[in-house]
Amino acid sequence: MDQPLQKRSTGRLMILGFLSPTILLLLFMVAYPIISLVYYSFHNFSAMRPADGMSWAGLGNYEYLLTDSAIWQRFVFTGKFVFICVTMQMILGIFVGYQLQKTFRGRDFLFTALMLPMMLSPVVAGFLWRYMLNSEWGVVNFLLSGIGLPKIEWLSQATPALWAAAVVDTWMWTPFIALLATAAFRGIPETIYEAAEVDGASPAYVFFRVTLPMSAPVLFIALILRLIDCFKQYDLFVAFTGGGPGSSTETVSFAVAKTAFSYFYTGEASALAVILLCIIMGLAMILVRHLSQMGER
Amino acid sequence: MKYRSTLLASAAVAGMLCGTAARADTTLTFVWHAGTCADAIMDIAKDYPDKTVKVVPALVPYGPEWHNKIASEFAIQGDAFDFAMWDSQSTAEFAGGGHAVKINDIFDQSTYLKADIFPASSLSQYGEYPDGSGQFYGLPVNQDAYGLMYRKDLFENPGEQAAFKAKYNRDLKVPETYQEAKEVAEFFTRPDQGLYGWGQMGGRDYDFATTASNSYLWSFGGELYNPATMEVEGYLNSPASIDGVQAYVDMFKYGPPGSGNWGFDEVNASFQQGQLAMAMQWFYFNGSNADPKVSTVAEQTGFGILPGAVGRDGLFRRQFSVGGQGMGINKYSKKLPELVKFMEWYFQPEQQTRYAAVCQTGLKAVLESPEWQGLNSYNRQFSTALQYLNDYWHLPEYPVMLDILQEEVSNAISGSKTVEQALTDAATRHERTLERAGYKIDRKGGAPEVPDTVISPAGQAEVTPVNQ
Repeated sequence: MDQPLQKRSTGRLMILGFLSPTILLLLFMVAYPIISLVYYSFHNFSAMRPADGMSWAGLGNYEYLLTDSAIWQRFVFTGKFVFICVTMQMILGIFVGYQLQKTFRGRDFLFTALMLPMMLSPVVAGFLWRYMLNSEWGVVNFLLSGIGLPKIEWLSQATPALWAAAVVDTWMWTPFIALLATAAFRGIPETIYEAAEVDGASPAYVFFRVTLPMSAPVLFIALILRLIDCFKQYDLFVAFTGGGPGSSTETVSFAVAKTAFSYFYTGEASALAVILLCIIMGLAMILVRHLSQMGER
Repeated sequence: MKYRSTLLASAAVAGMLCGTAARADTTLTFVWHAGTCADAIMDIAKDYPDKTVKVVPALVPYGPEWHNKIASEFAIQGDAFDFAMWDSQSTAEFAGGGHAVKINDIFDQSTYLKADIFPASSLSQYGEYPDGSGQFYGLPVNQDAYGLMYRKDLFENPGEQAAFKAKYNRDLKVPETYQEAKEVAEFFTRPDQGLYGWGQMGGRDYDFATTASNSYLWSFGGELYNPATMEVEGYLNSPASIDGVQAYVDMFKYGPPGSGNWGFDEVNASFQQGQLAMAMQWFYFNGSNADPKVSTVAEQTGFGILPGAVGRDGLFRRQFSVGGQGMGINKYSKKLPELVKFMEWYFQPEQQTRYAAVCQTGLKAVLESPEWQGLNSYNRQFSTALQYLNDYWHLPEYPVMLDILQEEVSNAISGSKTVEQALTDAATRHERTLERAGYKIDRKGGAPEVPDTVISPAGQAEVTPVNQ
């Protein structure tokens, strides 16, 4: 009787021993910053003016932010940007992934080439596209003029700027969806397709009733990752539009970074970061739960 | 005994070597934006006689990253850099936060570095905080001012002159007022020939739009706020301020389509390609704009002083944004004695003459020398331009105030708000910012239509020509 108990406790100790470095690291790298963030969010405090000290603000920072129409404007823009980008990237990514799962000559080269935009830094991509979309000497307007279309002031008007940013983000991240989609599509057993063919299913029927449902968990993970990433998009906009014109392309993450490191309103920036964190975590929890249910089915 | 002596001798040699090694390791790190002037400092520093001291740059692109790099280091009270070049308006933020060394202490102790080796106005502009206090936290290391560049070949072309005279009933000349500039810009705007009349910055980034719009605002007699009462309402959105910013927004009609989001790079590129007849640009860039290897129109480029404006009160004012940077010292640096020695060497006329060959020095001895004024086609105008400089708020809340004004002016440029609406919104948000920071706003109301008349009167009855 004693031996299994001893074995069990030794096993537990081993598990604890293996886990403890990770747990400690997580506590230090995640728990401590989050606790600090929440603590600062209830205070008026500027890291730039330490001599002014820190004063208790209660819910003041939250109240200020949530009643500030400028912040709501950032949320609305972020929502629009996320929706447009994720929709375009999922549709295009699935389409490209579906084509790339087929075996054809030069497929591997094409696959690698398509991944290139994803390997660029968003800041570099931002500057690159900023010049390409320059209304006077940018290549995009040059091509538009070449086919008789009028030049577009891409970055000096709010609506074209939103679409231009969405196009750049889609250009960068569609390959990511395509990569995961290809992997998911290739993971579906060939016999299922053969059975569908024997049953006389059309290619569209096979795609919508076999391919997509069977690869849904992977595609769902891709969707979650892109949603989170799009929601916290900051660096692209810094280089691409600077948040303008006006504040029409300023995301919430952009506002957090600016409040924290340009204004040095540390308390207010912390409160905004907490709000953003709650939204992203809430969204992720809903989606992960849905993913689990999908797995159970 | 012999063994002991050898040991002692070895220890002494080792100590000397260590001492030498430690001295050789003295690096003075500075933060600035990358560019010609930072390169010039590096070149000059190579000749610093004390070879145990190395000057090391930590350069970033011009824009918010540059401010944020300095500010972040101050926030953690770090010593990753020893000195930095920061914008004049940042002095209040950094000195107000207690992060910058008070230069007065260095003036007191140094035999060479004294306040009077710099023009008083420059020292005040780049280093004084609070305004008028006589306390300095920066030295005018790299002065700059907004300037005007124009195509001499177009202005001197007899055909163009005759056509202009026929259309506007006056001679074609480099404009002295924005009213004149508008007509000249309109005259040269010929999209079918790929030529536009006017180029200026309007970008949302950092201070791109507002350094330009403020130059109009002040010239029309507007003001950003009333420093005595801290009122913004009635000043920033005064009729004169609206006139100024409206004139600025209207000038985009004479620039290439989409120029409303331009930064200095785009203004330079467009001018250098021969697309613009005139452009509003910092003197800082004149070196490259006058270089035939860089600009296709370098030989035809003239450099002048920005126009002023006749305001609604009938008075003429010429005011434009100060540029350039002051050199400030990190309070947390552990190398202040070495740095002061370097500065005593660096601010000697010999080094500053070298620097002034490519950039704009703040040393009086060089600025006043005929050799420097005749060195190129724009130094003389630059020394004249210095008298017309004006600046943003010298308040620690500058980054917030700037961002708000940038956003609202950008809204006016894109047309999403009228100029009046944008400036009124900016004024409301500025007052909210000031109140949150603890300022008491003494709302007296009744600001005049032309607030310059009660803040810092600069109006003159006659237009004073400077570009002839």
